[in-house]
Amino acid sequence: MVNVLDQEAPNSFVFSEYLLIPMPTGKKATDLRELLQFLREMPDPVLNYHLWQSRLTIAPPTLEYPNDFALWAATGLHDDLLAERLSNIDPFDYENLTQVREAMVEKLEEYLWDSPHYPQVWPGYELYLCEASAVVLHSGITARTLGEFCVALQAVGLDSVYFHFVEARRRLGDRKMDDFSRWIADNFTLPSLVTAIGEIDIYFYSLAEIRDTILALVQEQAGTTSDQTE
Amino acid sequence: MIKLSDYEPIAGKEVVSQLYRLAEHLGKVRLVHVNSTRVGGGVAELLESIIPLWSQLGIEARWEVIEGTSYFFETTKAMHNALQGQRVNLTPAMLQHYREVNAENARKFTWEADFVVVNDPQPAFLIEDMRPQGKTWIWRCHIDVSRPDRNVWRYLRRAVSLYDASIFSMAKFSQLLPHPQYLMYPSINPLSDKNRDLTPEEVQAVFDRLGVERDKPIILQVSRFDSFKDPVGVIQAFRLARRYTPCKLVLAGGEATDDPEGARIFAEVQEAAQGEPDIQLLLLPPDSHLEINALQRGADIIVQKSIREGFGLTVTEAMWKGKPVIGGAAGGIVMQLQDYYTGFLVYSPEGCAFRIRYLLHRPEMSRRMGQKAKEFVRQHFLVTKNVRDYLTLMILSRQHGGRVVEL
Repeated sequence: MVNVLDQEAPNSFVFSEYLLIPMPTGKKATDLRELLQFLREMPDPVLNYHLWQSRLTIAPPTLEYPNDFALWAATGLHDDLLAERLSNIDPFDYENLTQVREAMVEKLEEYLWDSPHYPQVWPGYELYLCEASAVVLHSGITARTLGEFCVALQAVGLDSVYFHFVEARRRLGDRKMDDFSRWIADNFTLPSLVTAIGEIDIYFYSLAEIRDTILALVQEQAGTTSDQTE
Repeated sequence: MIKLSDYEPIAGKEVVSQLYRLAEHLGKVRLVHVNSTRVGGGVAELLESIIPLWSQLGIEARWEVIEGTSYFFETTKAMHNALQGQRVNLTPAMLQHYREVNAENARKFTWEADFVVVNDPQPAFLIEDMRPQGKTWIWRCHIDVSRPDRNVWRYLRRAVSLYDASIFSMAKFSQLLPHPQYLMYPSINPLSDKNRDLTPEEVQAVFDRLGVERDKPIILQVSRFDSFKDPVGVIQAFRLARRYTPCKLVLAGGEATDDPEGARIFAEVQEAAQGEPDIQLLLLPPDSHLEINALQRGADIIVQKSIREGFGLTVTEAMWKGKPVIGGAAGGIVMQLQDYYTGFLVYSPEGCAFRIRYLLHRPEMSRRMGQKAKEFVRQHFLVTKNVRDYLTLMILSRQHGGRVVEL
């Protein structure tokens, strides 16, 4: 019986690298009203950056908030209530960025309507609006088996984990599907592994932790399968 | 000469292989970096590290330095201070001389290039006379222009607006400009004399040569003697901390040819440190890389208490030596130094003193923070990342506005 880690897939997994450069726009929000105005007019790439891509830049060591708007509400405006409300806007609940934007605008309008005062930031703590450009590059690393996949996943950079896992969920529009899960689903009969990887909540792990979690799930699957065959 | 493969054990094999693959996609290009000094200061050090790597990647690169009079450098230093928010008086005569020096340099430069990267304000106006000699012009701003003097920025903006793109070190430094702006973090070279590993004997030899005794824990700040680096504030912090724990302070500063203000600030610091045997001031020549490396490795705590800072390379260098850093919450330091994780951000001499006391009192915590600091630098601030960013930017700039380029 071939170990599950050594089973050959009909199609190899090809690792890509995602080289992102943030692009500041020169615009900044100094209070909530300004943020609301910016949100209404914000081009999609700016919204995309602050919802997703900023994870690839220098992030705080622990991820407290799932997007830059919530993080800024907490650290710039010192408004934890607003930060909690913005944290609970999940882009996967909407079909496109326009709908996400509308939901955020609605949330901020509602919040401002109910608040007699609105907080302002200290100079230097404004929200600096950015977008980003990226180059997607073939890493030259491929995997034919799950064993090779584990070795490769440890060799590639975290940008690759971002591209195939976080960016893939956005690209595929499915909070439980990514490039890794899809490859495993298409090439092996391991539905429980696909489900387990799909259930990783990207908001509660750093990219390094996502990598470690996937590796642990694959290893666990290999152990389970080998127990069953013995 | 340092080879790209020498970075593999430090940055990772994949990181280096990525550079070759990017360069291959870019193909043959001619690249020129321009700045205003060949020695001293962070920009010159960055260029010294990066230039030899370009040829190994098949890119024809040159480093050009503009020449100027002492009046020119006084003007550009005042301009630098104004861009960092200080009130200065730039007279029309000074600005005229500044433009003339740029024009004179432009007449001497005969090179042609696909990409021209002009660093900081000193050579910014070269583009006025040299536009046809470069296909893509990029202005690389290393300084904290988050709250510039309005008039000086308006003046400089005339030149910057002519460029095809700009690069800033922090999003908060960016401005409203008519071209794409990019974010790039300055980096350090882990193999240079300033950052390479040293043996304990090499470290001790430097301390002996500089006459610094290691009889007490050493607090160190390495930076130019510049008012924005607040050396007098560091002395105040040291005096407060020493009331609790015996320690000594070393302030080591280099000199740069484009900084005429250094001697005056050094005299002020000398006065503040007068009659204090536990404070040592070291005025080091610009090429004292090995000495700075040894001082950083031999110090117990490293301080960079800047009140304005583009990106404090000395912070990154100290972190690379596995040291906890106490940094002023200014400019890029806020990002370089993860507060409570790889060191501490402070806002005053009092805050700095309190953190010095904490780290001297908790050596285990100090060691842990230092280890995290080194890994943080490995991931974000090595020269290989800088090369990667430039290659990415050059590929992107050929796409004319495309946000994602699949190669």
